[in-house]
Amino acid sequence: MTTAQTQPPLTGSPQPPPLHPQPAGLKGAAWKWGMGLLMCYVIYGAFFIAKNAIGFVGDSARIIFFHVPCAVLSSIAYFVAAAYAGLYLFSSHPTKRFHLDLDAKAAAAMELGFVFCILATVTGSVFAGMQWGTFWNWDPREISIVGMLLLYAAYLVLRSAGGEQPDKRARLTTVYILITLIPTVFLIWVVPRIQALQSLHPTSVLANPKNTSAAYKEVLYPSFLAFILLFTWLFQLRFRLYKLANKVASR
Amino acid sequence: MGRAADTAGAGTVGAPANDVPAAGPAWPQAAAALFAKDLRAEMRTKVAVSAIGVFTLSALLLIGLATATLKGAQIPIPQSDLTRPAWDPAGKMALLWVLLCFAAFTGLAHAFVHEEEAGTSLALRLSMPAGAVYAGKLAFNLALIFAVALVATPLYMLITGMPSGPPPVFLLVMLGGCAGLAAAATIVAALAAKARGTGALYSALGLPILFVFLALLLNAAKTLYASPQPVLDVVKAVGGLFSYGLLLITVSALTFGFIWEE
Amino acid sequence: MQIEDSCAIRVIWDGVGHRFGARSVFSDVCGQVEAGQVCVVTGPNGSGKSTLLRITAGLLQPSAGVAQVVVDGQPLDMLARRRYLGYAAPDLTLYRELTGAENLQFFARLRGLTLSREDLIARLSAVGLRGRGRDLVSAYSSGMRQRLKVAFVLLGQPPILLLDEPTANLDVEGAAMVEEVIAAQRRRPGGGVTIVATNEPREVEWGELQIRLEPGR
Repeated sequence: MTTAQTQPPLTGSPQPPPLHPQPAGLKGAAWKWGMGLLMCYVIYGAFFIAKNAIGFVGDSARIIFFHVPCAVLSSIAYFVAAAYAGLYLFSSHPTKRFHLDLDAKAAAAMELGFVFCILATVTGSVFAGMQWGTFWNWDPREISIVGMLLLYAAYLVLRSAGGEQPDKRARLTTVYILITLIPTVFLIWVVPRIQALQSLHPTSVLANPKNTSAAYKEVLYPSFLAFILLFTWLFQLRFRLYKLANKVASR
Repeated sequence: MGRAADTAGAGTVGAPANDVPAAGPAWPQAAAALFAKDLRAEMRTKVAVSAIGVFTLSALLLIGLATATLKGAQIPIPQSDLTRPAWDPAGKMALLWVLLCFAAFTGLAHAFVHEEEAGTSLALRLSMPAGAVYAGKLAFNLALIFAVALVATPLYMLITGMPSGPPPVFLLVMLGGCAGLAAAATIVAALAAKARGTGALYSALGLPILFVFLALLLNAAKTLYASPQPVLDVVKAVGGLFSYGLLLITVSALTFGFIWEE
Repeated sequence: MQIEDSCAIRVIWDGVGHRFGARSVFSDVCGQVEAGQVCVVTGPNGSGKSTLLRITAGLLQPSAGVAQVVVDGQPLDMLARRRYLGYAAPDLTLYRELTGAENLQFFARLRGLTLSREDLIARLSAVGLRGRGRDLVSAYSSGMRQRLKVAFVLLGQPPILLLDEPTANLDVEGAAMVEEVIAAQRRRPGGGVTIVATNEPREVEWGELQIRLEPGR
């Protein structure tokens, strides 16, 4: 006769060993201070260094320095999340596959993407209101950004609905990220090119070098860098928050 | 009792009882068996069909009533003596697709939600591979949406006066649209059913996927009714529809196992 | 070479443990069931009997340890083992909108079997549902549904039977029928493996092996 009895529960965290002993990524505080200074420069530059662009109502073109990085980053955030989701489900590394830390990173990227997407939509709408009088015009890029917004919102809804068991929630949400690759790819690369939809977006106007001063690039490129660094910092913070919440929950 | 149990064991084709159990059928046959089962169950209970049917008929009625005067109204084109329709054909088709989207999301969830709620998904998991389950359910949903489109579209054309444009292109647009719709609805239903979500979750998850698809459909509609109608535009528009659906099905097939199994 | 050796089927539990979230259900379950043996899993409610059977059936990935199904020395992974086993549990339901016979035919088809009419009648009679095959399962009593589950489990003559509370809702004849099914499984050439999870003290006698689960914290 074989009998088995449960042992007293193990002390310490029941979680599988973490993938990295500390959250990976850029280390130290120096780069965060640097990013903060860079952002200050960008904000100053947006108003004082860059001269006004021709063809725009008032000073409305200055929003470019904030609107464009947010919009670009909200797409990049999605692909970061998709990469982590793919690793979670398909990694050939046996300890990495189905590791909840990967799902947490995907979730962090999606949450940040949502935030940046809201910012991009709002700044874009403000610009449209100033430039063309109406706050919403249904041009392809506006459609794209709304599409991404719906996507992020749907992800967050699924995350809260699947909440009971972490691994079930992880499976369902990472699958959803991968499935929505198709709509995202179409949103970013196909929808803006649809002839049937008019385009009001001033890409063509801004790209003409006669319309913008050289100082524009001096502010725009640093702005991109500043926002990317901001994203990275927020991402690391969000992941650390998840790890801490886990520690508390497992006590 | 012992005899009866042995007789039950003699049901298979004479193989000794401890041979390797019969390998299951290849996945297309398993998927076909699932499709046949769903069809039989649906014809008996008529749950999905009645839900879709009630919705579609009421929507058609409402649209007919609301757009009776708009249907034939004309707007003068400035600086000429000509007029153009106030409600252009592409706009009419757009509304048709909105209707079909809602119909799809009303009725196509049943395929998966019913399995989860009735608890039969466990028996299915034990009996057939996940890929075959997805194929069978997708086939069922495709059949359902085609059936709905087949009935709703002529009625809609009658009610709103939507023209068909060149028939081959029209057929391709309708086929591509239905296929993409079924693909989106099926995978979202699988997700929402496993998350034990309500209809609200189902709609929320499907919205981003459908939103893009509707943009593609609108483009296809405009191409359908354009004159002149460059072949390249038609190819791009219809190709966009089908590629969206096919890509969606491919990714769904690759990831369905993770939804279905624990 | 003896048939028993060449078709050796065994189930091995090696340090199997499972937790749902932070709650541990059981841990460090060890044991082995050979061909021709019956193992009974007992324990109070919530001790994880059903969970252990689910893990063994490959329906659930255990948090710790491994539940192996070994055929001819080859361990089978979670998906491959399903055609070697028949699994029945309280939360397994069959299609209510189909008749009993249609249910059996459908699941038989998924196992690669085609059931003739005589086959069907024989199977239904064996579980005491003779003449009720044409009725919708929604019209069955709970005891009849349980009998249909037993017929479902026997489709394809799987060498391993995993039965979770097999006599639930059954009358005295039904319970005797289940006992005979287990005995027939034990007697089959090469020996079949049966694992039963039960609360009934009487049914503990059915197996020469027993695993008793204590509730975890």
